[in-house]
Amino acid sequence: MPIQFDHVSYTYSTGTPYEYKALNDVCLDIEEGKITAVIGMTGSGKSTLVQHLNALLLPEKGVVRILDRTITAGEKPKNLKSLRGRVGLVFQFPEYQLFEETVLKDVAFGPKNFGIPEAEAIERAKKAMAMVGLETRHYEKSPLEMSGGQKRRAAIAGILAMDPEVLVLDEPTAGLDPYGTVSMMSLFSRLNREMKKTILIVTHDMEQVFTYCDNVVVVENGTIRASMSVQEFFKDSSYCKEMNILPPALIRMKEQLIEAGFEIGEDVMDIDRLAEAVARQVKKHG
Amino acid sequence: MGNITLGRYIPLDSPIHKMDPRAKILGMLLMLVAIFFPAGWTGYAILFAAASLTIILAKLSFTFIWKAMRPMLYMLVFLLIINSLFLKTGTPLFTVGPFTMYSDAIFQTLYIAVRLLLMVMITTCLTATTKPLDMTLGIEDLLKPFTKIHVPAHEIAMLISIALRFIPDLIDETQRIIKAQESRGVDLKEGKFMERIMAILSLIVPLFVSAFQRAEDLANAMEARGYAPGEKRTRYKLLKMEGRDYLLLICCAALLACMIWLSAQA
Repeated sequence: MPIQFDHVSYTYSTGTPYEYKALNDVCLDIEEGKITAVIGMTGSGKSTLVQHLNALLLPEKGVVRILDRTITAGEKPKNLKSLRGRVGLVFQFPEYQLFEETVLKDVAFGPKNFGIPEAEAIERAKKAMAMVGLETRHYEKSPLEMSGGQKRRAAIAGILAMDPEVLVLDEPTAGLDPYGTVSMMSLFSRLNREMKKTILIVTHDMEQVFTYCDNVVVVENGTIRASMSVQEFFKDSSYCKEMNILPPALIRMKEQLIEAGFEIGEDVMDIDRLAEAVARQVKKHG
Repeated sequence: MGNITLGRYIPLDSPIHKMDPRAKILGMLLMLVAIFFPAGWTGYAILFAAASLTIILAKLSFTFIWKAMRPMLYMLVFLLIINSLFLKTGTPLFTVGPFTMYSDAIFQTLYIAVRLLLMVMITTCLTATTKPLDMTLGIEDLLKPFTKIHVPAHEIAMLISIALRFIPDLIDETQRIIKAQESRGVDLKEGKFMERIMAILSLIVPLFVSAFQRAEDLANAMEARGYAPGEKRTRYKLLKMEGRDYLLLICCAALLACMIWLSAQA
């Protein structure tokens, strides 16, 4: 069953001069078992949207359906904690949530809160740390001694250790170095492929959307501007142009080649096949 | 975020917003002194009317004042309990077992409630209509005469403006950390004693870390732009008192005089 937003609206600071309508009648289906990218400009409502997924924000109007839960506006939902254990949400700059004396303890904090016994929580924490590329020597370090990138990894490990069914990441790679970005994104891709996790990633990076994601949701001014597969979205640059997005380098290259007279099919979506198509035509024309 | 209204600036276009911050600060001080004169209910009625008029002129809503007042209610309930236990004057109202409630306990609490309400109304009229930056400029100017006796007026103003500037940031930061920890299963509302302690720790530690981080960043940013306390500095914005500012001061002084006269009568 997909994750569903059914006519969801949300307003911040209702009834004050700071009132701000962040979501306006949002209807959206998010496929399970896929990686979905949520894109849109700063202030478009992306973060508000994803905070509805683990009921940190409750819809002011409308219904959110996620896993086997239905959250209806105006009703006080019960047992939110169990939902939060199943939908792991990693905030933007999550490194600011670290507080324990050691990294290992901090990573084990989440699972312990959800009732996992201490010993198992530590086991899970060690596994999660290995997944994000933190080593045994980091276990007993204080979070304050670590670099920004390491803190980020530790914070993400803290959510992974909860072993959620749905993983929601709000700009997980902002401020990471290129190597860190690639290893983080491949981790999410692996979690999706091997463990069938549903993953949502809020990002500004079209290359990431293009390379790692299955579907894309464009949020604009609190509404859903587009929701489709990445294949469809990037089949040419028309959508990107319409939404003022710089298309990924490969698509730009492909379009320039087509302009220059090459014949390249719509389904050519990766660098190897693009190279092949070009090579074939170069050979043909000698 | 939107729940804390006390001390927040509300950007509106009103005659009160346009007034000189110095006049508003002085006016508020006069009014606060006036509140503390035991001028009886007539006096409070006059002050209440004056404060209400200012609120209407400033285009603020009374729900806003009510929201600012709400946190004080707990304090007032607590005060009522204390008063009813220890104040045994006035007419006895009712008796429950060994405990008798006297009218003075209720009157005393009401008295303080009214004073608190007036104080909140008047200070809100200042803070909601004055940009923090203007406020500090005003404070700095008002403290200037005291530099003669080595009061560091500029430094005090800078301290206040930085503190004010950080309040909304820290509130937002707290909300963010609450959300992040709630996502990790922290339950701030229920749980066993030890769990509650852990929950609070999980908030406070990151909040302190980020507050220190912010402070250091700000200090570096200020130094990088050549800020040094005690240096002579020019100002971008110059304050100028106008007719309405003097009018406000005269009104406030008149009200204060009126309160003094009323309390002398009593």
